[in-house]
Amino acid sequence: MLTNEPNPEKSPPKEPEASENGEKIESMFSPGFRSVAAMAGWDEEAILVASLVVEDTPDRDFKQKKRSDLPSKTPPSNSRRKRRAQKRSPVLVAMPVLDLGEDETSTKENTNTDEQKKAESEKKMIESKTNTNEEKKAESEKKMIESKTNNGEEKKTGEKELTASSSTLPCMDRLREELSCAICLEICFEPSTTACGHSFCKKCLRSAAEKCGKRCPKCRQLISNGRSCTVNTVLWNTIQLLFPQEIEARKATAKASNSRETDHKSPPPPRGISHYNVRNRSIQALNSPEDERIQSTRRVGNTYHEGRNHIVGPPGIASRGDEVNVRRRRRRVPGQDEDAALALRLQREEFMEVFRGSDDQYNGSVSLARENLRAMASRAMNIRIRGRPS
Amino acid sequence: MSTMNSGGMSAGGGSSRGGRSWPSTTSVSSSGKRIQKEMADLNMDPPSDCSAGPKGDNLYHWVATIIGPPGTPYQGGIFFLDITFPSDYPFNPPKKSGLQVVFKTRIYHCNVDSTGTVSLDILKDGWSPALTISKVLLAVRSIFTTPDQCNPVIPGISRLYLADRAKHDELAAEWTLRFAR
Repeated sequence: MLTNEPNPEKSPPKEPEASENGEKIESMFSPGFRSVAAMAGWDEEAILVASLVVEDTPDRDFKQKKRSDLPSKTPPSNSRRKRRAQKRSPVLVAMPVLDLGEDETSTKENTNTDEQKKAESEKKMIESKTNTNEEKKAESEKKMIESKTNNGEEKKTGEKELTASSSTLPCMDRLREELSCAICLEICFEPSTTACGHSFCKKCLRSAAEKCGKRCPKCRQLISNGRSCTVNTVLWNTIQLLFPQEIEARKATAKASNSRETDHKSPPPPRGISHYNVRNRSIQALNSPEDERIQSTRRVGNTYHEGRNHIVGPPGIASRGDEVNVRRRRRRVPGQDEDAALALRLQREEFMEVFRGSDDQYNGSVSLARENLRAMASRAMNIRIRGRPS
Repeated sequence: MSTMNSGGMSAGGGSSRGGRSWPSTTSVSSSGKRIQKEMADLNMDPPSDCSAGPKGDNLYHWVATIIGPPGTPYQGGIFFLDITFPSDYPFNPPKKSGLQVVFKTRIYHCNVDSTGTVSLDILKDGWSPALTISKVLLAVRSIFTTPDQCNPVIPGISRLYLADRAKHDELAAEWTLRFAR
């Protein structure tokens, strides 16, 4: 693939496309689009005429904007992947940190402004007394209420920050007791909750059901095996937040034991091979395994959800701790706006890729289509000119 | 006191390892981990009138003491028990003999047989992996105050308990005085 390896020749072909708008129109129709149009009953002439008539569609505007945006955002970087990483990193990785800082500063500002507001409202109160202006009074009262509620919120957030930062709570021992598994007597690892409402480690519960019968270890009620395998996510996340060190330690030991087990077994199958289509697989066969990995990340990065998982770095290198960090960061990310923005960006990039015709094997067919379209365009123009009443 | 005849059962094939007859504590199996945890918990917060701990270095062989609760014929007696953990503790299979609790002090009780083995439902079919040694000791202590009449191992004592409680109590107190002090 062109996009994988650093190739400085990649950026030049973009610019002529941008400059030669006339040619761009012709190459705009991808084979896919044409086939769809044919299915809809449009012959190629009709499409072309339509595109000539409606020359300045919003779609094209959109594309041009994007083209002008891209170079400015991404200074001469080589690979597409790098560029993506650059674009993503400020949004998804740095944002939470920025967020926190902004929160703190903003709360501080709020306090200041609130005090100012209070002062103002008090002044206004006095004024209102003298002037007996009821509107002003109402306003000041509103402001007072607002400032009060703001203060309350600040207190709440402050408390939250305290709980997050300091792991030594007065009720920590009780929490530890409450959140520990009755079977292994440690903090529940991947807790699974029974139908009767008791939670144990998933592993512990499974082996208890295997060896001691399908009854709840705590209350002896019958439990079904299928249910016992699901992890109580809320509880699990809570435990991870409350006891990060313990969970890390247990994860490390679990990983070690797992790797020991898998060493004896057959090596795990290559990841995500089912995602590739035939074309990609054939290309992969030519490439080295390292390229395969890069390709897979690039490929996977196209889909929105999986793209998020590769924020930190190349897969396999990221440790489990990093994963947890990412998860935590992700939780703090404001959410929908960011997500929507990322999705849009990815979509745009996909469009770009399609229209650029980056694949070598497409170039032949594209040039052929270009020839065809050019011929048809000239014919259409001729028809138009001839058809026009002189 | 008899020799530790039951100790070798749980120890498995560990006897080849430097003369020690138990799984080494350095290889932290899940059962060993749990037993260590229970030990720590017992030291932190022992149940009333009870104490328990490993006999020697062997984590799977404990000795426990229960003080006869006041208001019972066993009052004032100190009863020693041997506790043997199975290797897959706490997942004792219900049919097989799991956790073994044996009175080393002789006791006149309908739920304790002549070898001192305690017959408790929770040690057999009623076992649950959520039970701990501290809970087992509490259960043993509870049969001092209220013997389990439903499935006695010595029916004679049970019959006497039901027919002539005073006589039963007198005998139990005599045994306590003779063996448990």
